[in-house]
Amino acid sequence: MVGIVLVSHSFELAHGLAALTAQVAGEGVRVEPAGGAPGGGLGTTGDDVWAAISRAENGEGVVVLADLGSSVLTVRHLLEGKANGHIKLVDAPFVEGAIAAAVMAGAGQELDDVVRAAEDARGAKKF
Amino acid sequence: MSAIRKEVDVSMPPDVALHARPAGLFVKTAMRFESRVTVGVEGKAADAKSILSVLALGATGGTRLTLTAEGDDAGEALELLSACVTGLVE
Repeated sequence: MVGIVLVSHSFELAHGLAALTAQVAGEGVRVEPAGGAPGGGLGTTGDDVWAAISRAENGEGVVVLADLGSSVLTVRHLLEGKANGHIKLVDAPFVEGAIAAAVMAGAGQELDDVVRAAEDARGAKKF
Repeated sequence: MSAIRKEVDVSMPPDVALHARPAGLFVKTAMRFESRVTVGVEGKAADAKSILSVLALGATGGTRLTLTAEGDDAGEALELLSACVTGLVE
């Protein structure tokens, strides 16, 4: 299954969203958080993101979602040197995109379909 | 030949709402079929294969859902989805 990586400035935000996302997606989907600066506080490190990607990778690709600003830049910078087409940073709302992507991954859909579901989450209404 | 279209009403278990985890199960079940499937609640309808659409329905325990499927496997889809809904647990 396609893996999901959630990158935030905040350790709690990344881990909390990962817990929610994993519950909706069900068993079998690797949802890996990366967030927080070394020693606590807000921030994102490339090392944490890469470790999360490595844990999420299962041979079928990884979708990466980031919260805002420098988290996005950290991922983009990281992937510039390493991207092989199987790791995709998507421009999507953090919560809705993660849920949509993870359910698609949990249903066994392929990387491109998982990416599209996350991107399409931008237009989704909450009620 | 026109596509098969089927519809069935099914009620949510009284103590289970269609929130995140149950909705995830429902949507993943719907995705196993080729048919286009919609779920209707009190005049609102959602694509049964879209988790965000299904969550936005806000269906609570005991709510009557109208499942509609269109496609060659419509009958099988509704059979399995009905069983999925009635079997949902908290």
